[in-house]
Amino acid sequence: MAQARTERKLTSTTTAPRRAGGGRQLSDNRIVLLFILPTMLLLIVMNIFPLIYSLYLSFTNYSVISTDAPVWVGVENYTRILSDPDFWHNFAVTGRYTLLSVGLQTVVGFSLAMLLRTKFTGSGILTTIILIPMMLSPIVVAVFWKLIFNPSYGIFNYLIGFTNINTAPEWLGEPQLALWAIVIVDVWMWSPFVMLLCLAGLSAIPEYLYEAAAIDRASGWFQFRRITLPQVMPLLLIAILFRTIEAFKQFDLVQGLTFGGPGDVTETVSVQLYRLAFQGQFNTGESSALAYIVLVVIIAISNIFILALNRVRES
Amino acid sequence: MANIDLVNVEKKFGDVFAVKPLNLSIKEGEFIVFLGPSGCGKTTTLRMISGLEAVTDGNILLNQRDVTWLHPSERDIAFVFQFFALYSHMSARENIAFPLQAAQTPRDEVKQRVAQVAKMLRIDHLLDRKPGALSGGDQQRIALARALVRRPAAFLMDEPLGALDAEYRESMRAEIKRLHLDIGATTVYVTHDQVEAMAMSDRIVIMSAAVVQQVGTPTEVYNNPANLFVARFIGSPGMNLLKGTYQAGAIHLPGDNRYPVSPAWQRTLDHHLPGNGAVIVGFRPEAVQLNPEGELNASVYADDLHGGYSMLHLELTKGEVIHARAGREVHMNIGAPARFEIVPERVRFFHPETELAIPLPEGSATR
Amino acid sequence: MTAVPSNPNAVPTPGAPNVNVNFSTRVDKVSRGARWTRNVRAVIIIIIALIMLIPTVWMAMTAFKSRPDAVAVPPKVFFEPSLEGFVSLLTNRRQLTATEIAEYQARTDLAWADQIALVRGQTIIGPSDFPRQLLNSLIIAGVSTIFSVGFGVLAAYAFSRFPVPGKDDLLFFILSQRMLPPVVVTIPIFLMYRQVGLYDTHFGMILLYTAFNLSFSVWLLKGFIDEIPREYEEAAMVDGYTRLQAFRKIVLPQATTGIAATTVFTLIFSWNEYAFALMLTSDVARTAPPSIPLVLGTGGIEWAAIAAGSLAFLIPVVIVTFLLRKHLLRGVTFGAIRKG
Repeated sequence: MAQARTERKLTSTTTAPRRAGGGRQLSDNRIVLLFILPTMLLLIVMNIFPLIYSLYLSFTNYSVISTDAPVWVGVENYTRILSDPDFWHNFAVTGRYTLLSVGLQTVVGFSLAMLLRTKFTGSGILTTIILIPMMLSPIVVAVFWKLIFNPSYGIFNYLIGFTNINTAPEWLGEPQLALWAIVIVDVWMWSPFVMLLCLAGLSAIPEYLYEAAAIDRASGWFQFRRITLPQVMPLLLIAILFRTIEAFKQFDLVQGLTFGGPGDVTETVSVQLYRLAFQGQFNTGESSALAYIVLVVIIAISNIFILALNRVRES
Repeated sequence: MANIDLVNVEKKFGDVFAVKPLNLSIKEGEFIVFLGPSGCGKTTTLRMISGLEAVTDGNILLNQRDVTWLHPSERDIAFVFQFFALYSHMSARENIAFPLQAAQTPRDEVKQRVAQVAKMLRIDHLLDRKPGALSGGDQQRIALARALVRRPAAFLMDEPLGALDAEYRESMRAEIKRLHLDIGATTVYVTHDQVEAMAMSDRIVIMSAAVVQQVGTPTEVYNNPANLFVARFIGSPGMNLLKGTYQAGAIHLPGDNRYPVSPAWQRTLDHHLPGNGAVIVGFRPEAVQLNPEGELNASVYADDLHGGYSMLHLELTKGEVIHARAGREVHMNIGAPARFEIVPERVRFFHPETELAIPLPEGSATR
Repeated sequence: MTAVPSNPNAVPTPGAPNVNVNFSTRVDKVSRGARWTRNVRAVIIIIIALIMLIPTVWMAMTAFKSRPDAVAVPPKVFFEPSLEGFVSLLTNRRQLTATEIAEYQARTDLAWADQIALVRGQTIIGPSDFPRQLLNSLIIAGVSTIFSVGFGVLAAYAFSRFPVPGKDDLLFFILSQRMLPPVVVTIPIFLMYRQVGLYDTHFGMILLYTAFNLSFSVWLLKGFIDEIPREYEEAAMVDGYTRLQAFRKIVLPQATTGIAATTVFTLIFSWNEYAFALMLTSDVARTAPPSIPLVLGTGGIEWAAIAAGSLAFLIPVVIVTFLLRKHLLRGVTFGAIRKG
């Protein structure tokens, strides 16, 4: 083979390697088609088709456990959901959770990035350690935080100073605290994600900008506002976008920690969806409608963010 | 207006010297250029003068005031960076005004001074634009304006033309020099481009491998390089350097050539050279004069037409090629024999081991 | 122009000349104040790293605690390690009667696992469901990763090198699949699977995970392939190779790092996945995540067992995170952001 190559180098126009298929060569267009087809096929079958089917079901009163065929009911499911105070309550819970969680993650993540931006011995190891929580399975994380939050034998209360188990807060049991508990776990898991993106932005800032500012006697606040922040902003926004969408979709953590309880204090929309579709009455039609409403909201949120992102990129 | 004194200034990273102990006195109003290849220590030295890099040892004096440990903003210097370092979210005007605002200068004075430097650099029409929308040359002008508006005692410039396109570089070079002549401020300038250094400087500090090789005016370093490095580095192309054997008043050069040495030089050479007769002969391309009756011979290896003149490559023997500058009308065939002479006053000799230049004999004309 | 006099009251960096400065730094950064700030910063970072570590470490410790130690009040930091949790997790046991307990205690040929079970008056009758579920996780995650990376690299190459009509829209569409809440897609797929008999099957889950991860793998791989200069393939094709051969011999070897990173990320996502597994499997194809919360023993939640299961589940991910640390940024943002 090596010899054939050198031969070819000397007489490049006369010899050519043997082609697969004995001379028949696939044209570029055919190759593109061939390469893209499996992916598109799978996506259409497993994503598009279910979405359409789901849309159809949302206009019916179908239930998977019954033997009746789906019956068209028009927008009845949608109106029922949108006029249901429970739905709005859950929506508010989801919104509150998203706001708190993403807000705190942003602050913690950004601060972490500012702390870690200068390299020092061990910063690599420490960074990797800090990044571990976001790689873990959320349900497993929920499970062991359940142990940690336990009012009698969980270490959370002990670590923050409540050693008397009679006065210690019951994180997952008290209505005021339950949502905060989930927020705490989410922030623990995902601040590293925000940190990672902010670090990428911070490390791209050239040092000479700060040097020029130092020579010009610029204050630290000025340097932060005019040099640091503008460079980090696009990445920070991307981080917030990702996390907002994920927080809105959040299912594993809530299900693992509280099942939506106590009562319905932490019942996010995803949990409600699960209950509606796979528990109780298995109300497929209505849950499909709810699923679509959630979908529309998520698309709206992402679009807003992408607009904001483009505006930041342009300036 | 300031004089700057570097006293035993050195910089180490770990155990490695980035700048070996350096002593230099920069006069008021002087345009001094630190020249050398990448990594030679020139930028580090500049940064130490500015305070962006802390000295490992030594002192830096500005107007006899010890500024070695003062904050960069307290040293009364302005720094011009290679990549402009402009604040991209502020307009050009705001960028230029910024140092004055930080020093709490009254607003009217700020306005007046900004307008003044903008006029001087011919960027008044660009003041309200953001730097990102401007060309490299304009951005560097804004950076210069920002430095100028402070009226510092000294300007420090770190390869300011390095990020510009070639066509901009020539015109900006002239502009900076012109500015210097107008204002008369002390300027310390770093570059790796010897053409730039030769064109702009009052004095050049040539550095290599953390050590100062020579300090002198452009004429001095061109005509009397202190060692082989300077001889090679200055000039395009650098000085022709040939290994020869000095024996009985003449030097045997490659290609069966014999170069007779003047009596004045003979005494100096006898004194400075090692006993084995090895010597290095140096002469610039302009010192070569083609002459059919010349003592030295070679054959033409290549002939480069440079527009206004020709640069001939003459091969003395296989592997030994020298450059010779000839008039545009001279046209030689490749391989043709060429006889030449070297103008005696332009020849220099170097010690083969120390690489230092053999000092000129007393009384000889130094062109 | 008159020169503005420099500030005569300027104060040099305190303590500076006595400091060893064998490194690159600005003059103002060697002051005692700057060093103090640096130390405080280091301390804060260590504290935060600890906060990040403690929950995971606590859970790892709990996995090795005996049952009463796991729920001790106050929580025990120092304890005698025991493998009770693992035994509970991995085996099915039955309660022994009093006479049997005495009999077993007299025996000397018990395996270590049996000995542990005996402490609670039980004997092992066989493996629990967990090992099988762990295996299911492995199989489903592994096979679906092979397919999604395999198909993904083909599609990524096509998108990278060719002007596919509607490319940007298609790519965005592929990305948006990831934005759907899993529940939205699960309901119709649940129905579909039930119809065709794919509910609770390995094949059904593999199919689902492959499709679900395709969006991620296509994006990530496209980013990697974009970075391989086209000139390599073009040179090969000028030399006479077909495009397919150029793809196989030139592009794929160069993309090895990217493919490896994508494979590992896809593995992690499939491995960690909970919602789909919960809703679309029940027994045969059930993977580990849905069952970890439900590891019940006789009489309440067995924390040691749950911790053991969690630990077993987390260790591969931790190892892999460490190996992948250079690609983490790229991986978690779907290849949209590359550092440096």
